[in-house]
Amino acid sequence: MIEIRNLVKTYGSGENMVRALNGVSMDVRAGEVLALMGPSGSGKTTLVSILGGILTATSGSVKIDGREITTLGASELPALRREQFGFVFQGFNLFPALTALENVAIMCDLKNVREPKARAAELLEMVGLGAKKKAHPSDLSGGQKQRVAIARALVGDPKIILADEPTAALDSVSGRTVLEILSGLARTRGRAVVIVTHDPRVLEYCDRIVHIEDGRVGSEELRRVEEQVA
Amino acid sequence: MNILAWKNLFHDRVRLIVTLTGIVFALVLIAVQFGMFLGFLDTSANIVAHNEADLWITAPGIPHVNGGSPILEKKRWQAMQAEGVEKVVEYAVFFVNWKLPNGAFESSQIVGFDVDSRIGGPWDIVEGDVDDLRGEDTVIVDALYKKKLGVEKIGDSFELNGKRTRVVGFTRGIRSFTTAPYVFTSMKNAKTYIRLREDETIFLLVKTKGDPRDVQARLRKIVPGVEVFTNAELLERTQAYWVFGTGAGTTTLMGAILGLLVGIVVVAQTIYAATIDHLKEFGTLKAMGATNGMIYRVILMQAALAAVMGYALGITIALAVVNATSNTDLLIKLPAEAAAGIFVMTLLMCMSASLLSIRKATTIDPAMVFRG
Repeated sequence: MIEIRNLVKTYGSGENMVRALNGVSMDVRAGEVLALMGPSGSGKTTLVSILGGILTATSGSVKIDGREITTLGASELPALRREQFGFVFQGFNLFPALTALENVAIMCDLKNVREPKARAAELLEMVGLGAKKKAHPSDLSGGQKQRVAIARALVGDPKIILADEPTAALDSVSGRTVLEILSGLARTRGRAVVIVTHDPRVLEYCDRIVHIEDGRVGSEELRRVEEQVA
Repeated sequence: MNILAWKNLFHDRVRLIVTLTGIVFALVLIAVQFGMFLGFLDTSANIVAHNEADLWITAPGIPHVNGGSPILEKKRWQAMQAEGVEKVVEYAVFFVNWKLPNGAFESSQIVGFDVDSRIGGPWDIVEGDVDDLRGEDTVIVDALYKKKLGVEKIGDSFELNGKRTRVVGFTRGIRSFTTAPYVFTSMKNAKTYIRLREDETIFLLVKTKGDPRDVQARLRKIVPGVEVFTNAELLERTQAYWVFGTGAGTTTLMGAILGLLVGIVVVAQTIYAATIDHLKEFGTLKAMGATNGMIYRVILMQAALAAVMGYALGITIALAVVNATSNTDLLIKLPAEAAAGIFVMTLLMCMSASLLSIRKATTIDPAMVFRG
């Protein structure tokens, strides 16, 4: 689904040049949960930003279903993000003035989904928040906020979910609920779920873990082999 | 996306109140100042604007309708010879002293007109009749100036330039741009008050049968030692003198422009502050695929909503001010066209005030969403 080859991202120039990514190559497959791990500053967030069409790469290639995205212009990237990705952020990034339903519906609006409120209500039901449609983010717990953010990320049925530290601000129960929803999306709906994380709780829900160190793929670890074989 | 603009605007009530206060303050200032300007235009030359004459024959070089000086009445007969002239009547507008019951004097302006033709006579009469001016020493004054002139009712007597006069009627709303109210009377009476000789007049008013411009050209040839204005020319000259020559109009227009600038600054500041507060949300939208255009629409929609709400409040207050001054000698005009124009200006003011915010929004890096 996603092929990343020799991806390089540098910031600055001359003596001040920093290589955030230094030749990363890896694949992400449909239906798998992939964890990107590594110390702070290792390049995980840069990688996921380029993958999501938010940052442009200095060199290298990223193909989604065979389509090269690193050569897309600035005017083409927003459409790519709308069509291909759902984003889940560490800080939830919900709109405080909007209700849970409106937070999801606004993405429906952005992605030209028909009957945005009805679709938003369905997605909130799906993440177990049907009863909280009218609540504002300030009235929701951290776990509930993240579930609203996941419902928002699912608008338009994107092929790829990019989640940046989705459990970092959650307690263990809420964290597990969120991870169950994200892994369920990969297992039952064939979505590729990429999770940037430091949280060890995430590991038991992952199919693969890619360790990023100093802008390179340090090691790759296959998880849940038994389940895959079965 | 419209809901985000709407909800963002209402989410922070304090900011909304500050924004609306800025818009309302600016709008009331603009509406009242512009209304005063329109009022000045109206009152400065209402004697000309309401006059049915096509042409005015005046002494040379008069600066405005209130600055006429005597010309010989025989020029009326010369004017009658011109082709296309239907009627020529005498007319006078002249400053005279009005003696109050307590012995003090008020300045007033006699308007002497031909009662038979009624050209240049009073309008909006609320008590009495023009025909009552056929009697000697009779005048009609405006009800707005009753207190100023010490008049209470029809029949009250006063002195005009030392001559006895009696009030026989009232108009309502014929304001004077100067502090001297208009006092309508017959031309015969006016000559007495102004102390004109029988063979003198201040103006000659001409009704034409053909194109007034053609008749004007003929009159200029056959009536020597005078100026001939069309009604529109004298109107323009009078308005230009009083409204711009005295600085009154410029001052009110400057007040309106100041209101506009204050409005832009206040609204720009509050909308900009709101944009800064919502930068993370706009960054989130961009990260999730919103284009810059979509973000602009949210900001512009916020500005437009603020404009509509501010206008509704502001125009209500402005109309209340207009209403409150309707019974005073200060005319503030706010016709529907002006109100519509102010609405467009309010919209433009709010939209232009959001340009800074739009500029800021273009610099939002969507990658900010991954920075916690």
